Amino acid sequence: MPGIPVDVLRRVPLFADLSKREAQQIARLFKERRFAEGETVVREGSGGAAFFFIDSGEATVSVAGKPRTPLKPGDYFGEIALIDEGARTATITALSELVCYGLTYWDFRPLVQKNGAIGWKLLQSLAKNLRVAQQGE
Amino acid sequence: MKSVVPLAKARDDAIFGSKAVGLGQAARGGLPLPPGVALSGSIVEAVAGGEERAIRKVTRCVRPLGSPLAVRSSAVDEDGAEASFAGQHLTLLGVQSSEVVSEAVREIWWSANSDSAITYRQRSNLFVRPSVGVVVQALLDPEVAGVMFTQNPITGVDERVIEASWGLGEVVVAGRVIPDHFRVARSGEVLERTPGAKKVAVRTLPDGGTAEEQVAPELVERLCLDEGQLAELNRLADRCEEVYGPARDIEWAIAGGELYLLQCRAVTRAGSSR
Repeated sequence: MPGIPVDVLRRVPLFADLSKREAQQIARLFKERRFAEGETVVREGSGGAAFFFIDSGEATVSVAGKPRTPLKPGDYFGEIALIDEGARTATITALSELVCYGLTYWDFRPLVQKNGAIGWKLLQSLAKNLRVAQQGE
Repeated sequence: MKSVVPLAKARDDAIFGSKAVGLGQAARGGLPLPPGVALSGSIVEAVAGGEERAIRKVTRCVRPLGSPLAVRSSAVDEDGAEASFAGQHLTLLGVQSSEVVSEAVREIWWSANSDSAITYRQRSNLFVRPSVGVVVQALLDPEVAGVMFTQNPITGVDERVIEASWGLGEVVVAGRVIPDHFRVARSGEVLERTPGAKKVAVRTLPDGGTAEEQVAPELVERLCLDEGQLAELNRLADRCEEVYGPARDIEWAIAGGELYLLQCRAVTRAGSSR
């Protein structure tokens, strides 16, 4: 079955409030992507094309050359790039063979544009995240 | 349209991409191509998305090509974008069998949807959804391969310029060797033969993949094309110009004693882009 399980998708705060049916529409757009050991998954400063879940394998993370907590199966990154196609904020490198499921900006955008209910929930979720970030300042 | 067609039936850029359609034109013109098929952008998308039916269809259509295989992207994009995306979109040589072609197709789909591709698109004002077709061909194990310009790309003189080296032509295209350099008049007269320094060759492995190997010392500076092969290349240049028009940039290979056309495109500038 193409895509990823819905319950996996709903673990991401951005998608947590979606109904099962709404989440299914997004989950089936994910495509498998494999990276070889040592391969750069995303590079800091590069434009971001996709949001990734790690299915198996591990990856190192660095920001401005400084190491951060490595990523493991179940972790995800790049969800904000789906909305603003902005630059990557970290460099992620496959520590072992890495199997990810990715959703691209171009697959995601038309779905949200056609479905106002999903768009509204994403907006609420972003607003919630913004409040949390502001309280933390 | 989720289709897989023989190269000769690839006619529409918007469905199969410019590389596939260019090869389709060659096939219809009777030019000597390695056997192959073209995958539409839609079926590439479906295979990348894990659609079982699409994967089965591609596997079935590719099986008669044997193995190993060359799997190349064929951009379905804006005018002339194939050349400008050459560095972004992937070519996979030495794919072992039809059973694993779908994995190669998925990698090619991701190469068109990678961060570097999106960055390039943002910078180039081509910020639209990428679509990529795929060409799958039998991968040759050539004795000799290289490139040929049907007109001198530097001087504009009406003569063939040929660069050749041992094994797969990737070493020439990637600048991994100093290739042998030939100039041939349209009449067939050989105007120049300059041996290169061909220290390495890339070979196709029987179980898939490719490997770089050292060339035997006595072959490093020995010319890799003889009079007869240069004459054949000159004839291929004639035929390519008949099919496509003047000033072509050709990739070719000689395998099992037969000359094959791998790619033919317009010369865009000195040296052209691949």
